[in-house]
Amino acid sequence: MTMLHQPLPKLLFALLAGTCGFLMGTSAGDLAPPGFRPHPAGLHALAGGRVVVRPGQILEAGTVLIRDGLIEAVGTNVDIPAGARVWDMTSNTVYAGFIESYLVLDSTNPPVSTGDSMPIGRGSLTAGGWRFFGAPGDRSDPGRAGPGSALGKINPEARVADNYSPKEKNLSALREQGFTTAVVAPCRGILRGTSALIALTEENPNQAILKPGVFQHIAFEPQDDGSFPSSLMGVIAAVRQTFLDADHYALDRADFEKHSAARRRPEYDPGLTALAAATGKRMPFVVEPGSALMNDRAVRLARELDFNLILISCGQEWRRPDLARVSGAAFIVPVNFPSLPKLPDEADWDQISLDQLRTWDWAPENPALLRELKLEVALTTYGLGEKKEFRKNLRLALDRGLSEEDALAGLTIVPARLCGVEKQLGSIEAGKIANLVIVQGRSYFDPESKVRAVWIDGKIHACPPEPSKPASATKSTASAAPTNATVSLAATNGASNAGLPMKKDKKGDDLREAQRIRVAHSPQEGRGAITNPPALLIRHATIWTGGPAGVLTNAELFVAGGKILAAGSPATPPTNTLILDATGWHITAGIIDCHSHSAILGNVNEMSLPSTAMVRIRDVVNSETPNLHQQLAGGVTAANLLHGSANPIDGQNCVIKLRDGNSPEDLVFSNAPAGIKFALGENPKQSNWGDHVTSRFPQTRMGVQTFIANRFTAARHYLQDWEAYRSTGGLIPRRDLELEAIGEIIQGRRLIHSHSYRQDEILMLLRLMEGFGVRVGTLQHGLEAYKIADEISAHGAGVSTFSDWWAYKFEVYDAIPYNGSLAAQRGVTVSFNSDSSDLARRLYLEAAKAVKYGGTPEAKALNFVTLNPAKQLHIDAFVGSLEPGKDADFAVWSKSPLDSGTVCLQTWIDGRQYFDRALEAGRTARLQAERKDLIAKARKIARLAGGSDDAGNDGGKAFFRSSLEHEFDGRERHCLDQEDQ
Amino acid sequence: MKIELLKSRVWMAALWSGILLLLGGGRADASTLLFTNALVHTVANGILTNGAVLVESNVITLVFRGASAGTPPPAIPPGTVWIDVQGRHLYPGLISADSALGLTEIDAVRATQDSTEVGEFTPEVESWIAVNPDSELLPVARANGIGYFEPSPEGDVVAGQSALLALAGWTWEQMIVKKPAALHIFWPDQSLNITPKDRLANPAKWKAFDEQDQDRRNKIRSLEDFFDDARAYIRTEDFGALRAGRASEKIPAWEAMRPYLKGELPVVVHANELRQIQAAALWAATNHLRVVIAGGRDAWRAASLLASHKIPVLYEHIFTLPPGDTDAYDVQFRAPEVLHRAGVCVGFATGRGGFGATMSRNLPYLAAQAVAFGLPEEEAIKGVTLYPARMLGVQSRVGSIEAGKEATLFICDGNILDIRAKVTRFWIAGEEVSLASRHTRLYERYQARPPRAGRGF
Repeated sequence: MTMLHQPLPKLLFALLAGTCGFLMGTSAGDLAPPGFRPHPAGLHALAGGRVVVRPGQILEAGTVLIRDGLIEAVGTNVDIPAGARVWDMTSNTVYAGFIESYLVLDSTNPPVSTGDSMPIGRGSLTAGGWRFFGAPGDRSDPGRAGPGSALGKINPEARVADNYSPKEKNLSALREQGFTTAVVAPCRGILRGTSALIALTEENPNQAILKPGVFQHIAFEPQDDGSFPSSLMGVIAAVRQTFLDADHYALDRADFEKHSAARRRPEYDPGLTALAAATGKRMPFVVEPGSALMNDRAVRLARELDFNLILISCGQEWRRPDLARVSGAAFIVPVNFPSLPKLPDEADWDQISLDQLRTWDWAPENPALLRELKLEVALTTYGLGEKKEFRKNLRLALDRGLSEEDALAGLTIVPARLCGVEKQLGSIEAGKIANLVIVQGRSYFDPESKVRAVWIDGKIHACPPEPSKPASATKSTASAAPTNATVSLAATNGASNAGLPMKKDKKGDDLREAQRIRVAHSPQEGRGAITNPPALLIRHATIWTGGPAGVLTNAELFVAGGKILAAGSPATPPTNTLILDATGWHITAGIIDCHSHSAILGNVNEMSLPSTAMVRIRDVVNSETPNLHQQLAGGVTAANLLHGSANPIDGQNCVIKLRDGNSPEDLVFSNAPAGIKFALGENPKQSNWGDHVTSRFPQTRMGVQTFIANRFTAARHYLQDWEAYRSTGGLIPRRDLELEAIGEIIQGRRLIHSHSYRQDEILMLLRLMEGFGVRVGTLQHGLEAYKIADEISAHGAGVSTFSDWWAYKFEVYDAIPYNGSLAAQRGVTVSFNSDSSDLARRLYLEAAKAVKYGGTPEAKALNFVTLNPAKQLHIDAFVGSLEPGKDADFAVWSKSPLDSGTVCLQTWIDGRQYFDRALEAGRTARLQAERKDLIAKARKIARLAGGSDDAGNDGGKAFFRSSLEHEFDGRERHCLDQEDQ
Repeated sequence: MKIELLKSRVWMAALWSGILLLLGGGRADASTLLFTNALVHTVANGILTNGAVLVESNVITLVFRGASAGTPPPAIPPGTVWIDVQGRHLYPGLISADSALGLTEIDAVRATQDSTEVGEFTPEVESWIAVNPDSELLPVARANGIGYFEPSPEGDVVAGQSALLALAGWTWEQMIVKKPAALHIFWPDQSLNITPKDRLANPAKWKAFDEQDQDRRNKIRSLEDFFDDARAYIRTEDFGALRAGRASEKIPAWEAMRPYLKGELPVVVHANELRQIQAAALWAATNHLRVVIAGGRDAWRAASLLASHKIPVLYEHIFTLPPGDTDAYDVQFRAPEVLHRAGVCVGFATGRGGFGATMSRNLPYLAAQAVAFGLPEEEAIKGVTLYPARMLGVQSRVGSIEAGKEATLFICDGNILDIRAKVTRFWIAGEEVSLASRHTRLYERYQARPPRAGRGF
């Protein structure tokens, strides 16, 4: 070894450069000052080895000639010049140096975690200064002291190259895996800044940095420090706004250049400057979305904001290969596969969900799956606790279908191309940088073949010899976190564990064989439409039309092309019509839940700011939640997904149809007009957030009005600015997504769904909105609507209420179950909603409570959960009743839907069947059998591996990291009123 | 509707409506009531069409069928108030077991919470003395047929004792039917906290699985020790009292354990997870305790074990979401039927906490959901009347319409399991009670609000 292990002080380098000319690349630079070890000659011949020039192109007994850090020649007949130092590569294999595509240093952050369920009532939730937020807070965002975004999590100006300093401990572990260069990525915040491509040497950073600006980095990482954004949907809103700001900032500065004497100077914002330099596809953006569904959001965001996208794989693209396929994006793929936990008791397996087992079993197959989908794959060690796990896990991926060529490409030519350095790196060709990997034996992909050395910039970095066994065992034990020791198998398995799949013994082969076969099924199986007949005729049914025709007995319903063609009148069916004899059954329009939080990824509240009008539920629709199926089984076909009620002005809602199995975007009820959630009373004034939460405006009902009036006035100004721009030109106004949404309310293009309880606050909102020329869409809950039904009716707002909830908080002490009936009798359009993933399953029975309390006639009571919510959401032209021309969304019941003994038998949406009670037993049995098979596999592998396959010594941490899509399985979700205490 | 054979205590009789018969017996006082022409859900003995119920001195003295010729009519005391039920349903008052009624008013307002105490072993805590007889929640529950409730204390492990109270009375003392009725135990959680350390709200509290395993074992051992210590105390006490002829210093916590250790009163074990339920069942059998499982989410998975030990279940999870991702969507809707078929006695309760208290009136609809998914209707009605009475050891006094029981019954214009049906009149222990509540008062008040000409939008 001739290299220097300590980077020389910069001053010395400068001195050397001054006295000796160029330090590198000239012979003069090779003369080190006295006292330093002389530089070796820069001419090397690596001869006689197996040379993998590029994936698929192999020279047996080839020679690689290196001069001055570059490859001069490669081939089987290369003349070795005199003066070259010859390295015998016999029985070794030479690869192009590997490129680590995503290296995060100085951070112990796990990969972007998908969960953000922040407990209510923590900390002050005020962020100051963010421009789309109007009210001042009591403290500024803790994230930043200097200039830049008002949000500490928005740091596009950060540049890894500015602060990079090589540390041996980071680099040697990577070199031992064959890596010679790495994209070092910034790791703080959401918009994180620019990465740099560096050579993995401990030399002067000026030399180590190959390319100072490679990618801009984004992570969809909500952090619960109380400042905006604290939710996943808030993250997306913040990204969107910042991109718009960057565009505008560039225009603003240009305008100032022209008119500096005539206008105020723009603010200086280094973040927007940096971002503007990358947008417009000038630099690729690497996005770490953290989950399979958010991949799709990243893809859509890239399209919307016009940037080139590279995705960090979450390892779970198998959940929705359809979304990965259409993304067309390149993926940087970690191989941090979850390992089995060691459970203290056999009975603890009961706690392990099918989804956890599927996640474990699918993980090693995910890289192969991405290649099968024809997507570009670069590999990374990202997410591995120990870099030395890389090759073992890579082997698992190869055993599960990833080809060696693809794996090699993922380490060489693919990342070279993504980084835009394909002319310098990625293969062994003349003119490229002499970065090489020397592997003993014939293949890097045999984990037993040791990486002997890497060459970086024409210099050899030998890897240390294999440590002796006892040393290894000690190290392994020490490296396991002490608290982890009992869980981690690493401690008990010691050194032998590290080489698990490499074992040549029978047990090792059996283990590898067991790992090779996937037992898990696709979560897409058994979902989606069960039947999709071209036409459907239901006969002999009792049909609750919901319209003027009322309830028809022994009637027929004819459906074709997803629409109801006739309800109640005989039709002449075409020959391919599916005929359903519904004797004894009742048919109703599909249930519509006007207040749901069931299919939302991450937190349902962006509870940092008092106005979060820029936040969109549509960005975080969860198509994978079991709630969809459970609610289909209760006849629900559409739901109004609402932001929570933490703020006077909350986020934008999203109306979906429960087309389970489809992608988030395909759940969206495209004909539903836009809407937004508001909230009045105890929640936005933070009454029940904890006694110490007292500093955000508003803290009273007075303040709620003041705040909403303030934002509407600001929105009016905003609209006027745009109006002025359209008529007189000048600098285009900055797009402000908060005020834009509020402006749409004023323009009558966005419906308000306002959480409200007391009559005083309801009346306040009606009058306040009337002052802005706005009609409120619905009063959500509106539990005191009965007290001011005439006022509500005259205003024209709908009331979407609970049938009989009361007394769970002080402001609902006057809630009465007669509310719905009484308000309806006075002319208000009333619906009953769930606000609960459980109650949504039985809204049909909630409707019966309008009959019991206040005597609403049965047909009208059913409309409380069908036609009336449709009217309130302005989708009644499409759904809500069984009338010709409407969507064929309906439910089939064993008895009257208002009879407590009724059971939902079938649920149809758009003329397709999504639920059939007759198939449920089989469906459950299949899932249970799959789980049983997976547990059998897990037990077998644990046995063969001596307890578990936990070589990553993470104690099952990754195993138990629930995916975003299933974070809230089996748990209730509410708007704030009923959070678990 | 099926009418079962009437048993000995119910007399067959013919009645001519409007005619009083005086065949011996004393004078009827003001509280002597005769319900006639009723569809009587006796619960204990099936359903009587054209049935009649005689109530004397707050107690049911006679249940018989009218309009059946050939049987001599029973003695009806003079002065009896006749109530023509007009063919509608007559049910015994429903029992809301394991409830926070009376102990909580407004869930979010801490000052109104009296249901949860601090400490792991507080058997001497008595729930009934904290019941607010003027709680607005009580008349609301009563208006839908709830006649009795069991305010139960919540705590860490051995939380305290409950009583059974009637939903009528000026003071908690007057409301009491039985005190104490049961000891409430919250079985230590047996599931592992699998949340990764970096995901915990407080990562410092993270514990390795083996440590958690040790903790959960220790908690159960600690519970067992507590019972062993209590048993030892009682043996010493009894023996010592005999020998020395004097009572030694009483220790309230141990004294409170006495009736439960002797199997005189039931121990309600709150347990939802399979392992908790299994462990509690075996523990009960080993220690000869009378145990009721409350909560019982996974009880259906231990149905045969529970049946073999004759342990009843107070099921509170019909309307919670299925816990596992391989569970059928209706797993909890069907659970009562699965338990019933295995031979387990199943009662229903709206669940703990303030929300359960405000929802007490929906108790019959929990049972109704089980019927929709397979439970026989008679079992569902028993599950909200006679079975909770049995679990609390008051079946000789309440839970059915039988001679000798408290005259707590209500008239309903339909099947009480049908949401659309309404309770029209209600008697608790022979006294008619009002069906008015905060809800009806507000309804009537605002129904009468004069129409306000619209200040149009």
